Amino acid sequence: MIEDRAAGDGLEPRAVKAVTAPKRPATYRWLVVGILLVSLLLLPLSRPVLGSYNYVILLATNTLMWVAMASSWNILGGYTGYISLGHAVFLGVGGYVAAVPLFYYGISPFLTAVIGGLAAMVLGLVAGLITLRTRGSVFIISTIALLYMFLLIFENSDYLGGTAGLPLPVVPLPRDWLKAPFYYAMLLAAVGSIVLTYQVAHSKFGLGLRAIAEDETKAEVAGVPTRFYKILAFALSAFWVGFVGAIWGYSLAFVRPTLFFTVAIAAQMTLMAIIGGRATVAGPVIGGVLIIAINEFSITKFGSSEINIVIIGALLVAVLLFFPLGIVGSLREKGWLPAFLDWD
Amino acid sequence: MALLEVRGVDAGYGHGPDILRGLSLEIEAGTSYCIIGPNGAGKSTLLRVISGLLPPRSGEVAFKGVPFNGARPDQVLATGICFVPQDQAVFPEMSVRENLVVGAYLVRDRSLIKERMDRVFELFPILAERESLDAGKLSGGQQQMLTLGRALMIDPEVMMLDEPSLGLAPQIAEQIFATIRALKDLGITIVMVEQNAVRGLELADWGVVLDLGIVRFEGPADTILKDPRIRELYLGKAANLEETP
Amino acid sequence: MTQIIQVVIFGLLLGGVYALMASGLTLAFGVMRIVNLAHAVFIIGSAYIAFFAFDKLGIDPLLSVVFIMPLLFVFGVGLYMALFTRIEGTARYVEMTVLLTFGLAIMIEGLLGWGFTGIFRQATPAYLTDAFFIGDFLIPTGQFIAAMSSFLLLIGLWGFLRFTRIGYGIRATMQNRAAAQLVGVNVRRVSAIAFGISTALAGASGALMSYLFPFFPFRHWQWIAVLLALVVLGGMGSLKGVVVGALILGVANSLVVDQIGPGWAWMAFYAALFFILLVRPNGLFGKEVAA
Repeated sequence: MIEDRAAGDGLEPRAVKAVTAPKRPATYRWLVVGILLVSLLLLPLSRPVLGSYNYVILLATNTLMWVAMASSWNILGGYTGYISLGHAVFLGVGGYVAAVPLFYYGISPFLTAVIGGLAAMVLGLVAGLITLRTRGSVFIISTIALLYMFLLIFENSDYLGGTAGLPLPVVPLPRDWLKAPFYYAMLLAAVGSIVLTYQVAHSKFGLGLRAIAEDETKAEVAGVPTRFYKILAFALSAFWVGFVGAIWGYSLAFVRPTLFFTVAIAAQMTLMAIIGGRATVAGPVIGGVLIIAINEFSITKFGSSEINIVIIGALLVAVLLFFPLGIVGSLREKGWLPAFLDWD
Repeated sequence: MALLEVRGVDAGYGHGPDILRGLSLEIEAGTSYCIIGPNGAGKSTLLRVISGLLPPRSGEVAFKGVPFNGARPDQVLATGICFVPQDQAVFPEMSVRENLVVGAYLVRDRSLIKERMDRVFELFPILAERESLDAGKLSGGQQQMLTLGRALMIDPEVMMLDEPSLGLAPQIAEQIFATIRALKDLGITIVMVEQNAVRGLELADWGVVLDLGIVRFEGPADTILKDPRIRELYLGKAANLEETP
Repeated sequence: MTQIIQVVIFGLLLGGVYALMASGLTLAFGVMRIVNLAHAVFIIGSAYIAFFAFDKLGIDPLLSVVFIMPLLFVFGVGLYMALFTRIEGTARYVEMTVLLTFGLAIMIEGLLGWGFTGIFRQATPAYLTDAFFIGDFLIPTGQFIAAMSSFLLLIGLWGFLRFTRIGYGIRATMQNRAAAQLVGVNVRRVSAIAFGISTALAGASGALMSYLFPFFPFRHWQWIAVLLALVVLGGMGSLKGVVVGALILGVANSLVVDQIGPGWAWMAFYAALFFILLVRPNGLFGKEVAA
């Protein structure tokens, strides 16, 4: 098929693709990933055999949601090297874009989640046009400001329910199957964002992003359309976060500005991607699973989310100082990364 | 014993290759040196190592027989060795006077600061005129005078100058050279890297030719200047065009 | 018209306090290229100290500045030596400082929440509700005192930077780090001191916050967003820029609250930030884009 296209469009030199193409991965790696995926797909059917079914499904849904967000963040923050601390803005926009048709017209977010994602993308494009005029710290600051600006706009909109937000109806499904659709939607988002990251990482576009992260001026001199690439990266990294926002709001049965447009959420995405390993495909997945596990552990152990916050903050400081490459990056550097975790 | 000794220094930047490869050099008190050599020979790197800005990978620098052992730039300066970098590094938002005061950062005695400032103003009357102007608003030549004057505020024994005439109009450069000669007459040991090699050698007592991170030749400046091999290899066209009297 | 002038007066008074809050942040960036995302959590931590000193011991929040500033100075110097000296010379240093202080902010926020819970606090000295008149204009005593204290501290900071030896060293390091080293400034020592001053200023700001603005741990995110917007507007590291920007935006903020509604408080800061990014990415007084 590739040959056909190469003959047909001639738009893109295929040779470049070949250079960046990954080495053939060990088959057992994909076997592990495949088994994992199949078990995730079958998980909601385990009600008869699983004791704490509801808890497991909720936890899994939550984990998948965070994996999707951390992976998305990684496209901009990891590959491009532009740290966004305002990525929660996309979660909120996605959430509201799906919540409004549901609240006013009864249209299911499972239908509109994609629109939520697209709206987040459009916002990413527009915000990128402004914020990506700057680099480094000023960019980071402008993403925080973007988040707070949207918080204010949403809090002050009567149509969107103001500070109280909008209450949403519950999914019209039998109680036993209430959680499954959310689970599958989040699974789709997680897999989708991982596949997207993989695609980006193995494209000429991804190569350009890495060049920007390495040295933007040199990348520009080398002919990388840096501005266009950065904005595109911003938009792509927004899509699945918006999608997740739409589903999440529905699962909570309400949307509220302070719940969505918060630095805490943006912080968590950043943290997961960095701890797992920036600019790696598997990093944010591992980071996401790890952080959720720590959250669960510390909340059951200490019963307070404050201790949990302290641990998370300390962990970030420690990782930055001692393993700036994150788990996947550090293991790979030492050659200790098991092949089934090497998804690049 | 030489005043300043560089012994077998290897040095480079970051993870990059060695720029200096086992370089050794002795600097005698009261003598002026001009270091020449092609781009990348390690001229500026040598000055950066001596000044403490770049710790050597191996080897050492000793002043009056005492090795520096990884001293910080301010500690090197305190021994009386100052370094004037090539980019006319003034403090742009401080006045000329403030630049001189900060030049005497290591001097606690206020009357001494005053005394030295007067001497600098005597040497560079133009700076006295612009005393309260922000240094960033001075011309390139005046900024270079200010960096030289600032260096004089610690009353250095050794002054290392990195390309003092770089980017200056010929007339201004001549003024700077005249100043350097005046500094020499004050008894200060001068170590100078100069892209205008002929002019630099004319000014100096001793010439040092660096190439590929080591000292290739050294000798009395006029000998170096006249040596046909060196003229051919390192002084290039400029030397042939600009015959010295 | 009278109404507008009254609003402008309120704005200037609060603008003075914002200037003090942002001054430490801009100093840390100017001298050490540290974007300190934990600055606001330091302010809130100090506000807790002032609050409890008032609540338990009856110490006036303004008086508590006397011990909060030295305390925060020592804390800042210690933090600089422990944390930031480790990352000197790393690639992407500025980004590293953002992420490190981000982790630090989360950590301290958690500790504050754990120790003092998430309820709103506010010290209530007698002058909080007092007011006096100048002509037709109402001046709330508490805000007036806070503005004057900020003003005095900023003058003090200016004088310190202008006339002391360390001040010279700090300014030299801000303007040309390499040249500062070459005139004998021990840049690391000066940086540690400057960071201590920066946190001490956060401490003083916190004492004022304790009675001016109700606070709880999580609030620091909102404050840091506002203060960082100010620092960018001021041109990343320019003290003059940040003070002028704070006064202008203090007034703009008051006008927004008065004319549009209290729900839109702070909008002026974010809107101004994006407007500046569009027309003048270097800020009001900026000379170079801070990378």
